[in-house]
Amino acid sequence: MKHYFYLHWQDARLALLKMLRQPIGSLLNLLMLAIALSLPVSLYLAATSVQAWVGKLTATPQITLFMELSTEQADLAAVQASLQSHPRVASFSFISKEAALQQLEQRSGMSGIGEGLGSNPLPHAFVVQPKADATPEALEMLQRELSGLPMVEQAQFDAAWAKRLHGLLELAMQLAWFLGISFGLALVLITHNSIRMQILARQEEIEVAKLIGATDSFIRRPFMYYAVWQGLLSTLCCWALCSVFVAQAAPALNGFAQLYSESITLRSLLPGELLMLAASSIALGIVGARLAAGHYLRRLRAR
Amino acid sequence: MIQFEQVSKRYPGGHDALKNLSFTIDSGEMLFLAGHSGAGKSTLLKLISGIARATSGNVLVNDQNLSRLRPSQLPYVRQHIGIVFQDHKILFDRSVFDNVMLPLDIIGFDRRDAARRVRAALDKVGLLGKEKVMPVRLSGGEQQRLCIARAVVHRPSILLADEPSANLDRAYALDIMELFKSFHQVGVTVIVSAHDETLMEDYGRRIIRLREGQFAS
Repeated sequence: MKHYFYLHWQDARLALLKMLRQPIGSLLNLLMLAIALSLPVSLYLAATSVQAWVGKLTATPQITLFMELSTEQADLAAVQASLQSHPRVASFSFISKEAALQQLEQRSGMSGIGEGLGSNPLPHAFVVQPKADATPEALEMLQRELSGLPMVEQAQFDAAWAKRLHGLLELAMQLAWFLGISFGLALVLITHNSIRMQILARQEEIEVAKLIGATDSFIRRPFMYYAVWQGLLSTLCCWALCSVFVAQAAPALNGFAQLYSESITLRSLLPGELLMLAASSIALGIVGARLAAGHYLRRLRAR
Repeated sequence: MIQFEQVSKRYPGGHDALKNLSFTIDSGEMLFLAGHSGAGKSTLLKLISGIARATSGNVLVNDQNLSRLRPSQLPYVRQHIGIVFQDHKILFDRSVFDNVMLPLDIIGFDRRDAARRVRAALDKVGLLGKEKVMPVRLSGGEQQRLCIARAVVHRPSILLADEPSANLDRAYALDIMELFKSFHQVGVTVIVSAHDETLMEDYGRRIIRLREGQFAS
């Protein structure tokens, strides 16, 4: 048994050495696979990051009350009082028209926009946080109720756009899976092809080995291990590429999130996901190698 | 023991290489196969090693019926047979040492024990000093010896040699024959084919003479 493992270890070692002996060719091959893999993986990472954030939003939706421009301090106090006593409201915050204008100036980088306009065009607003256990129907009722408060121009349900974004993300996830499956198939084909080339290069050796008693598994083993290393190393390359993507894309995504005074952390691959990715690319590589070797061995036997 | 029971071999295209042959070769026997090219000598050796399959009849090698064996079992039969190929089938991309190592790799020998065996086999055929040399730099006779070293390194119970003395001058051919005799003396079944019978007659062994796939009377 120990001897059996020793033989496998030998083949694994030789397969890796073979790869290292042609560093440029191997690297190009690995990069090609890694780029193909990193496309769906990056899309998956981005989509799940945004999805986690959107999920948080839809789970705790906010209702924004925009007041009419002519609202007086007394009206504000009345609204504040009814919000405080409302059983379905967990908390709320007030954003005055002055604070809103200041925020706008900061974000757009156009200071003095208010002066240019003459008067402040922004309304006062309340951001209402409903109780967490509210059902969608209860939320809609609350929205209607709040829009009926005096001097309230509009009660806007923030979850509506979040739901639309959710739908969009669902689409992105589906695209990621579709890409993942098609690149998985490509991985099988690419491995099949590169193993076929290797077999053709070693045709003479294989034929002689067959003649003096090599079993099919003996012939196949080095190619299998080549596929294993290829899967493992291309996953690592893919991981590196995705890390670069995350580092590059995180500021842009956060800039988008800041438009909603939020922040999204673009996540990297979790260890479990990395393991899954490595396992599946190794498995697909083995399938490709086995198909190529099996095809060749069958042809050899028919002679 | 090797046993042929009414064995015929017809190649695709209709050429009958062997016609209804029956004979027995005892374990540890040394014998010669004689006949012109195309008489069926190579085919007979291929049937013993399972490289070719009989069209009809039974080929029994060490109590196993090769005609009924599954293809996946054939490699294990071959691992007990040493073959000296007519066209040598040396691998020119590796050293003499690595060529002889191949059968031991296939059986799965431990590398250190294997190295000792490879040197012993090379010593036996007189190539020990050339283990690191690439085969291209060997003479024709040396390549023949390399092929013999590879055929015996895993200590097979049966040794098949297809025209080993072809293209060699007489003195060299006699050397090779002596080598086969020494394997026979340690109990290996040795079957040597040749079209030149003058070499065989000196040895006083059984000779199977073939003509057009049948025994030549």
